[in-house]
Amino acid sequence: MSTHTIRLTVNGHEHVAEVPARLTLADFLRERLDLTATHLGCEHGVCGACTILLDGETARSCITLAAQADGSEIVTLEGVAGDGEELHPVQQAFWDRHGMQCGFCTPGIILSTIELLDEHPQPTREQIDEALGGHLCRCTGYVKIVEAVQEAAQAMSRTRP
Amino acid sequence: MTPTDGRIFGSPLKRKEDPRLLRGRGKYVSDIKLHGLLHAAVVRSPLPHAAIRGIDADPCLADPRCVAVLTAADFDEIPQLVCIDAEVTTLPFLQPALARDKVRYVGEPVAVVVAQDRYDAEDLLTLVEVDYDPLPAVVDPERALEADASIVHHETNLVDTLRYHTGDAAGTITNAPHVLRERFETQRYAGTPMETRGVIATWEDRSGAITMYSSTQVPNGVKTNLQIALDLPENGVRVVAPDLGGGFGVKLQIYPEEILLCRIAQKIKRPVKWIEDRWEHFVASTHGREQFHDVEVGYDDEGRILAIRDDCVTNTGAYLQSLTLVEPFIGVTMLTGPYRVEHFDATAKVVMTNKTPMNPFRGVGHVQAAFTMERIIDLVAADLGLDPVEVRLRNMITPDELPLNRKFGNVLAGTIVYDSGDYPTCLRRAAELAGHADFAAQREQARAEGRYIGMGFGCFVEETGLGPYESGTVRVEPSGKVVVLTGACSSGQGHATTLAQIAADELSVDMDDVQVLHGDTDLVRFGVGTYASRTAAVGGAAVRVAAGKAKERAAFIAGQLLEVDPVDLELRGGAFSVAGSPAASVSLAEVAAAVAPGSPLPEGVHDYGLEATDVFHPKTNTFAYGVHVATVEVDIETGVVKHLRHVVVNDSGRVINPLILEGQVQGGVALGVGGALLEEILYDDDGQPRNPNFMDYLVPGIENVSPEILVEHMEIPTPLNPDGIKGGGEGGAVGAPAAIANAVADAIRPARITATPLFPARVHEAISAAGLGATVEGSAR
Repeated sequence: MSTHTIRLTVNGHEHVAEVPARLTLADFLRERLDLTATHLGCEHGVCGACTILLDGETARSCITLAAQADGSEIVTLEGVAGDGEELHPVQQAFWDRHGMQCGFCTPGIILSTIELLDEHPQPTREQIDEALGGHLCRCTGYVKIVEAVQEAAQAMSRTRP
Repeated sequence: MTPTDGRIFGSPLKRKEDPRLLRGRGKYVSDIKLHGLLHAAVVRSPLPHAAIRGIDADPCLADPRCVAVLTAADFDEIPQLVCIDAEVTTLPFLQPALARDKVRYVGEPVAVVVAQDRYDAEDLLTLVEVDYDPLPAVVDPERALEADASIVHHETNLVDTLRYHTGDAAGTITNAPHVLRERFETQRYAGTPMETRGVIATWEDRSGAITMYSSTQVPNGVKTNLQIALDLPENGVRVVAPDLGGGFGVKLQIYPEEILLCRIAQKIKRPVKWIEDRWEHFVASTHGREQFHDVEVGYDDEGRILAIRDDCVTNTGAYLQSLTLVEPFIGVTMLTGPYRVEHFDATAKVVMTNKTPMNPFRGVGHVQAAFTMERIIDLVAADLGLDPVEVRLRNMITPDELPLNRKFGNVLAGTIVYDSGDYPTCLRRAAELAGHADFAAQREQARAEGRYIGMGFGCFVEETGLGPYESGTVRVEPSGKVVVLTGACSSGQGHATTLAQIAADELSVDMDDVQVLHGDTDLVRFGVGTYASRTAAVGGAAVRVAAGKAKERAAFIAGQLLEVDPVDLELRGGAFSVAGSPAASVSLAEVAAAVAPGSPLPEGVHDYGLEATDVFHPKTNTFAYGVHVATVEVDIETGVVKHLRHVVVNDSGRVINPLILEGQVQGGVALGVGGALLEEILYDDDGQPRNPNFMDYLVPGIENVSPEILVEHMEIPTPLNPDGIKGGGEGGAVGAPAAIANAVADAIRPARITATPLFPARVHEAISAAGLGATVEGSAR
């Protein structure tokens, strides 16, 4: 099997690695970089737990090959908040509104919410449904997830100049 | 985190576990890495039913990437999975951890391959050559009972016939003014937690024992079963359940892979990991629900139900698992729910087929019971032209009848005795919140406009707070920090918060000072685990009693330190002081320090440490109940159902944390939406699974579930535990399918709705059969 040299930035850190062609980006992040916040719920691109930001846009790392990410800039859940105690406003809203239970689907949902609020700072219900339509959560029934997204939008609009 | 009014028990506190999980610092089993870790993949049967003529692992072993292969040949005697209610008659239906002579469902483990990485392990699977001799498969449980059916095990596919009865159902039905005969079907579906199962087994030279990390709801039970399966001493195995990405019952038993990976670790003395993929999950983790009820109901002109006969068949799949018999017996013994049915006679047949085994998941048996009973009530009401709420009220058990002995029992509860509650008030309140009084007019007006909306009720009583016991240990450290140990480990529900609330309440300390630990059999000697809505009611009771014992000991020590009688002491804000003279005070931290080793004990105190344990054994089960009201709209052209609004009034007894309980109920409702409308594990007639992936098996997404799930709690305490808790983990899932099915039936009345899931094709067929709407031909799904 062929191997590829990839060079990419993950959460602000540069990495150069030799990867087999078939290694998924999710496994690269989890196994090689120990970034285990990216979860694998289905490994066929449906559940959304493995969602990351790839060059600023959400992508499913379970159906993306590590080799495809050569030259890209990636953000995983670990890179969302700073190093201090403070959570990102989206994380904070999910905590405040009980927008999570087991936490397994949460990393992907947080990243999709960040992308949504970047594009639509005050999203409509339809925009929330569309942004999170590619995520499965078995615990919450989604009601509190929607509340958390709306609260995050409020909080972020307050801090925006 | 302590609320400003100081009240901890009963407050909607934010969860202690969330900041860690939100930062991606959760530790699920797949996140654990050990030095020298190997990876396993499982060779699974591709056939639903076949004899195994031979297994040749040599081609696999010859591959340089292969570290080991485990087959039946590695065992003198293959360990079997445990079935808790197994009797002599049911023993032949237990599952071997690895198939030796025969496979009985697609996905059954046949061998395990170990390699340096998972990719290689998967490649190697095809090199294990298994010679199968296919046998005819049987997938339909009623077909399985016919004389010429293929036999899954030996002699018969009928494992057992359970019978529960009271009064004279047959005679009463014969003489009843009205009789309803109908068949109600609930499909096979599953809990499908977002995290699949996973196991890491490692041999620890230092302790001469195996440590197994597993995504399990029952670490202590799995440990005991592993000891038996691998003939290990009690200290020969330690089970750790790290963070779980959901359980829903799917993880409440020992599974073959747990035994197999431990056997490999024992054999090769290296750590080995297996993480289930989603296809494996659909074929190798337990399913639930598939159950049919053929009922005869006798009722009078006022809609009073006089008698019910129920002939129930449950398709339990290819083997009995830990609690497979629960689905059949709950399905019939809890059928009558909150209603007073004097004459009742039910048989529950437990039937083997060539499908993946069933075991309980969220709402086991109660879902089918509620669906059947609530459809019965609506059909009776429709027949007599009565209001469905009125018919329910006429049949409902009233508060002055409680506690009520239902006169027949089941294996879990012994005799069923409903403990406390007010079912009619619960129903009236739910009807009010849902706007039932005005709804008929809205429905008729909508119909006039060509829109089909409906409202449906789903009432249930649920056996909760299941024993046999749970343990709790509460320790006050010299720092003043409190550690709580519980056997009820969390699968995501928030036990680190709710159990801390109980300890903090009892010891009057800040929530931030309480840490809850669970999920490690070295840490918790006695434990049962989390299922059957039992953690708050049983695990919580153990924590409450243990904290009370610790407090009592602390008061005695404080009394010695302050030279006062302990009865004169008050515990407030984490410190003891004499009532009326707050100057004389000693903190819990000081009390704990006074009994820490290294200095002499206070006078009259004989033991070091400030710690207490309780193993709480509930006398019997509690019975939670609730009423769901669903509102839906049916697209008359396509049969697509939209879930518009959902109201739940629920009595889980006293509530520890209303925010968490609301989340539990809402999540349960979503699972019920899946069961009512979207989810079914499909097999073809030959026993091959048709949809073992998330593309074809539809777990509800954000657009499928109503954005408005209104939850209200009644808090009528049970007398069966110190905090009066009944439990609330499952009720959301129990009432929702019944309510949604009734709402669909209401929307397209008089169309006949007797089965779930209400896939568009099924609804469309019912619409067409009733001659409603446009005459577009429905296509088979």
